[in-house]
Amino acid sequence: MLQRPAKRWDRRAPSQSRGLYLLCWFLGTILVAFLVVPLIALALSQSGQSLASVARMGDVRDAIALSLEGAFLSAAIAALMGVPLAYGLARTTFPGKSVVAALVDLPLAVPHTVAGIALLMVLGRQGVLGAPLQALVGLKFWGTLAGIVAAMLFVSAPYTVNAARMGFEAVDPRLEKIARTLGLGPWRTFARITLPLARRSIMTGVTLTYARSISEFGAVVILAYYPMTAPVKIYELFLRFGLDQAAGASVLLLAVSLALFLILRTLSRGTPRRENR
Amino acid sequence: MSTDVALQALTLTLGAFRLQSLNLTVSRGQILVILGPNGSGKSVTLEIIAGFHRPDSGRVLIGGRDVTALAAEQRNVGYVVQNFGLFPHLTVAQNIAIARRTDRKIIETGKALSVPRDDKGLLAYFDVAHLAHRWPEDLSPGEKQRVALARVLASEPDLFLFDEPFAALDTQTRDQLRGDLLSFLRTLSIPAIFVTHDHADAMTLADRIAVLREGAVVQDGPAADIFGRPVSSFVAGFLGVENILKAQVIETTDTLTVLAIDDRMLRASGPMVAAAGDPVCLAIRAEHVTIGPPQAEQPPSFAVNRFEGLVTSVRSLNPLVTVEVDCGFPLKGYLLAPQAHAMNIGAGKLVSVEIAADAVHVMAN
Repeated sequence: MLQRPAKRWDRRAPSQSRGLYLLCWFLGTILVAFLVVPLIALALSQSGQSLASVARMGDVRDAIALSLEGAFLSAAIAALMGVPLAYGLARTTFPGKSVVAALVDLPLAVPHTVAGIALLMVLGRQGVLGAPLQALVGLKFWGTLAGIVAAMLFVSAPYTVNAARMGFEAVDPRLEKIARTLGLGPWRTFARITLPLARRSIMTGVTLTYARSISEFGAVVILAYYPMTAPVKIYELFLRFGLDQAAGASVLLLAVSLALFLILRTLSRGTPRRENR
Repeated sequence: MSTDVALQALTLTLGAFRLQSLNLTVSRGQILVILGPNGSGKSVTLEIIAGFHRPDSGRVLIGGRDVTALAAEQRNVGYVVQNFGLFPHLTVAQNIAIARRTDRKIIETGKALSVPRDDKGLLAYFDVAHLAHRWPEDLSPGEKQRVALARVLASEPDLFLFDEPFAALDTQTRDQLRGDLLSFLRTLSIPAIFVTHDHADAMTLADRIAVLREGAVVQDGPAADIFGRPVSSFVAGFLGVENILKAQVIETTDTLTVLAIDDRMLRASGPMVAAAGDPVCLAIRAEHVTIGPPQAEQPPSFAVNRFEGLVTSVRSLNPLVTVEVDCGFPLKGYLLAPQAHAMNIGAGKLVSVEIAADAVHVMAN
């Protein structure tokens, strides 16, 4: 009864800051238009017929399917290994923690072709990881799905780790303590309290990892030109047949990835509750 | 089964903070209030009892059981924090259902009143059954407290721990919830430890008080003793004593201590803590300072100190008016609003103040 702020009030800007708000809106609108207009122009450039004909091309469909598959695996691995790391970073202190946090961010600063070259050196036939993995379990990274996933994971894992870490940090540690005193052990406390409260942040991070993985070109193309993921296929179409062919496949990929992005966003907002406070 | 609680020689070093050999006990049905400023170690003490910190040495006994080495979930303590810590992603009913159940049959109340143990019974007992499917964020502070108490009780604790649950509330709500909490705790025989920096919490709730400063207990005992005879000006100030004055002992007799504050002489009865010539501190509660019009005749008895002085400030907070008088030293007293009105009190007015000698409490420092 006392908790609710009068929301309508909060939103109304005091009159003297109107100029500031107008400027923000003006500049913001330009940026948003810059982001959206090219995509709309691309989408409108294709007739339904030409899209249908592109969609009938087996190699384009295969490339899109491969992209989705690789991105799914990459997001799954990022969640499996990134969420525990995020929890560790959020809840513990240890020497070198800030170094670890910086290392997690490092891929964001590495040009993606550089990332691809680096991965190839480690995972290639003579690489320190590539050679033993091929010898022991027959896992090859050059020109395989595994290579595609490795490249995608390298450039997109930070999104999951960082979002999940912020999600965990926003969970009040006292809630975990209370759960313990109520008789829940550490594992149950994590599963029943911490994880659900951080769920939305984790989902946001995994969604970003997934989206980033689908769109990855630079690192993927170095580890695996074949089999072709959708961005590589589009590049090939562009080089061999020109803009029109490439645009058709682009619109198709855009439609598929936007649809998936929207579905994931909706799923991650599934619960109607605000998760904290 | 005994439900007594004992902390024995607890020490803990956390960075720059040191808890220095803490000894405290709570009997069944008793409320111990740990009072201290921020950084005094009161919350850390609570967290040691709950099992979130392992002490460097010492023991924690709950219900006769040594729990020092046990994990939090094995200790059977109920823990209530600021804003009551309801799980925001769970409904009221789910918040209560998540508490682990033991196979104990009844909750001992010691007063032939048995509190129900099933979820429905608990919800009804705390008058929150109609809120079962609501979310914590939609509850009032009073409702949150009742849900938190129901949840704590569902886990059948041997000890309640409260870590400043009212710290974020306004005074009025705080008064109300404190009353609710007290009547709840009085129906049970489960001991409680309540940590706060608010002396009003201590005054209302405490059977015993321990005052903590920089990781050490500076005074501990029955609430009346602590409020009546604080051992130092730190404790007195923390308990909200309005008048704390530096003085010097002039002489002591069997029944009285004669003191000087600058050139004013003051008599105090009660236990002697100092010899002639010693510097001491005096604690005088404002409610023991009687303010009236200037009087011609001598005080009726040797046991009353009387001074004349000029009013320096008047603050009204119905129904009390706080009056500050300069009678050679500053002194605060209360008047009821109608009295103040009748005396036409105001800054610059000449008044007399009286303090009974037994209301002057002498402290060594």
